Amino acid sequence: MTQQKKESLSALMDGEESANGLFSDIGQDQGLQQTWRNYHLIRDGLRKELPSSLNFDISARVAAAIEQEPAILAPKKRLRDIPVVGQVIPLVRQGGQFAIAASVAAAMIIGVQQLNQPTPEQPFSSAPALQIPGMQAGGLSPVSLEQTRSLPPAADALEQKRRINAYLTDHQRQMRLKAQQAKESELQESEVEPQQK
Amino acid sequence: MSRSRNNLTRSWLWLLLCLPFSLASAQSTDSAEAWLQKMAGSLKSLNYQISFVLLQANGNFEPYLWRHAVLDGVEMEHLSLQNGPGREIVRVGDQVSYFEPNVPAYSLQSEVINGPLPVELLRKPQLLGGSYEVVMVGRSRISGRPAQQLRIVSKDKSRYGFNLWLDQETGLILKMDMMSMEGEPLEQAQVTSLHVTEQPDAYFSRIEVGKLPEMISVPDISEHPRSLQIGWLPVGMTEVRRDMHRLPLTGQVVDYVMLSDGLVDVSVYRQSVDPGSSENGWLKYGANTLISLQKGNHEITVVGKLPPQTASAIANSVEYLEVGK
Repeated sequence: MTQQKKESLSALMDGEESANGLFSDIGQDQGLQQTWRNYHLIRDGLRKELPSSLNFDISARVAAAIEQEPAILAPKKRLRDIPVVGQVIPLVRQGGQFAIAASVAAAMIIGVQQLNQPTPEQPFSSAPALQIPGMQAGGLSPVSLEQTRSLPPAADALEQKRRINAYLTDHQRQMRLKAQQAKESELQESEVEPQQK
Repeated sequence: MSRSRNNLTRSWLWLLLCLPFSLASAQSTDSAEAWLQKMAGSLKSLNYQISFVLLQANGNFEPYLWRHAVLDGVEMEHLSLQNGPGREIVRVGDQVSYFEPNVPAYSLQSEVINGPLPVELLRKPQLLGGSYEVVMVGRSRISGRPAQQLRIVSKDKSRYGFNLWLDQETGLILKMDMMSMEGEPLEQAQVTSLHVTEQPDAYFSRIEVGKLPEMISVPDISEHPRSLQIGWLPVGMTEVRRDMHRLPLTGQVVDYVMLSDGLVDVSVYRQSVDPGSSENGWLKYGANTLISLQKGNHEITVVGKLPPQTASAIANSVEYLEVGK
């Protein structure tokens, strides 16, 4: 009985079985809960996704913490208890809750954006590919405040961009011409080639 | 349910048991060199149509269509950039014609299209031996086809490495990654579809060879004075071209040397400048590194798909001898 449940639990984790009724079983069965936890722990271990420090059994501790929380026996007199204002306040409160929820969402989006920021392409230079008008001076030297302040004037930077583009374009062009040159040097080689085929 | 899971584990066990044997037998029959030869032979002799995407480290990507056919013993090849205004390169035998926006069409004499893939290497892998080690890695699945992976590493660790996946059946290229020294991909070519056909594609029968643009002859400038001396070269890299020409866009006159190891082409430029007028610097553009430094009244610039350290070492080793004057 439990063996079968464990197997379907494992299948559920692999996405091979739908959760029909299994979750309610897990909710009631202490042993199954433990198995569920262990399976996840094993899976994370196998995938090398374990955190550096393991906090076993947070759920039990959270439950204990809630248990220990003192119950509020005598609530304070609130605005709601005043007859007329009582009608209005809930709306305001709801608005406030919504605002808090929205701010949480905003914080999450900001957090995600920060996480998703691409890592710099080259760790030891501050010059991204061609997007910055000029070349950064001194590739390996750390960028100091002085250097960032003394950016070349726009015309100078444009001129530099033009020169860089000239070199890059010419390099592409030379690569095409190169094939022709290579052909001449291979004339001797071509006599050997047919024998290999 | 449980039976199927047991079967699964059993098949895994079998796989684990069989793996060493299959690997051993694979190694005895094919080697990295044999695979490269197979690739080179197929690239030259088969009729194929390959779609691939070139991905660069800065997020750019370029989709290409590449067709090849042998018609009456003549190799025909077509490479087309699929995005934007396009760029069409057609090769018939040893004539390569370029059709590009903003430039009148022209032809060059060449046996390869030196495009986004280092095709010259792919077709003549024997040129590679001096500079790179080729290692068999293993099998995997690329573009829905079983593939053989090879790794190409420069012997002196001065150049970027490559991962190459070849089609198990034909040996044609399925994927090629250029890896940085840290093992991060810099440039990736991923084939999205590969068709090998008995008959040449109908496209090639429509090419009117007589109407292709005129061949541009490049003047032979081999007797150019060897005033530009490069003191240090990575292992296996040699000088393949040397001349003096004007740069496009700016029109400045430069002394020029092209270095190549078969996989990577590197351009070295020297230009006269006033002392102190230019600054030293470098940048990366995709996988290309451009390094520029000033020595007295010479500005030395190195461009190519090289790690910055190597490009800098080449640039620093350049000497200019004013013998001709």
